[in-house]
Amino acid sequence: MATEAPQGDFAAQAIEHLDTLYRGALRLTRDPDQAQDLVQDTYARALRYQASFKPGTNLRAWLFAIMRNLFWDRFKGGQGREVSLDQDSDEDFGLYERLQDDSAHPDLDVLDQIAADEVVAAVDQLPPAYREVVMLVDVEGFAYKDAAEILAVPIGTVMSRLHRARRQLQRLLYDYAVESGIVHPAKESA
Amino acid sequence: MNCKECVERLEELVDKELTPLEASEVQMHLENCPSCTDRFEFEAGMKRLVRTCCGSDRAPESLRERLRAILNG
Repeated sequence: MATEAPQGDFAAQAIEHLDTLYRGALRLTRDPDQAQDLVQDTYARALRYQASFKPGTNLRAWLFAIMRNLFWDRFKGGQGREVSLDQDSDEDFGLYERLQDDSAHPDLDVLDQIAADEVVAAVDQLPPAYREVVMLVDVEGFAYKDAAEILAVPIGTVMSRLHRARRQLQRLLYDYAVESGIVHPAKESA
Repeated sequence: MNCKECVERLEELVDKELTPLEASEVQMHLENCPSCTDRFEFEAGMKRLVRTCCGSDRAPESLRERLRAILNG
């Protein structure tokens, strides 16, 4: 028979994931005040529904799932979850290929010169459904399987969304690199 | 494995999502292909960059205190 953990245990375990959740909330809302509200609501809901958490499963993923559902329901009025993201006509843009086209050696030096603030700004410019998959897999290190559970989509969707998100991110960073003189395009291709 | 097949698996390699067998097949190609190795390093560098830049925020102490009160209340 499963015994319910005392509230204190659950609370202590849940609070360990606060930084992770706050970072996620920051990326989702792009606003520190809204992020704090979202995290607070997430913990309140988690506490209310703690009996539905299966001990031994991934508490961090469970909390994240609550949070992103709250985000989509509350901050976005439920819109966007089913938004088609497949129409991005320039989805095949790749920074690596573009740097090769520019006759620059696309080595890591270019990445080293990109300011941290610009990377955050570029991530924040992604559509929310791309932002959340980048946040889960790249920033917080969730496995595809866990990301798929959090987002309630198949693993293949996680992979394709992640691929498109990274391509879009690279395009944004390329534009920044050109504007700031880190990269000098050899010529505009027609 | 050719370059096209290798590039198709690079993101999964960077994300450590390949089985040991699949990973060793890609790595075997990388050992003999400087071009794909450059690309792998670039993709891995992009991931590191995003993690480093977006992964350093910490929750404000005031929020932590509020949550402790809610959770233990």
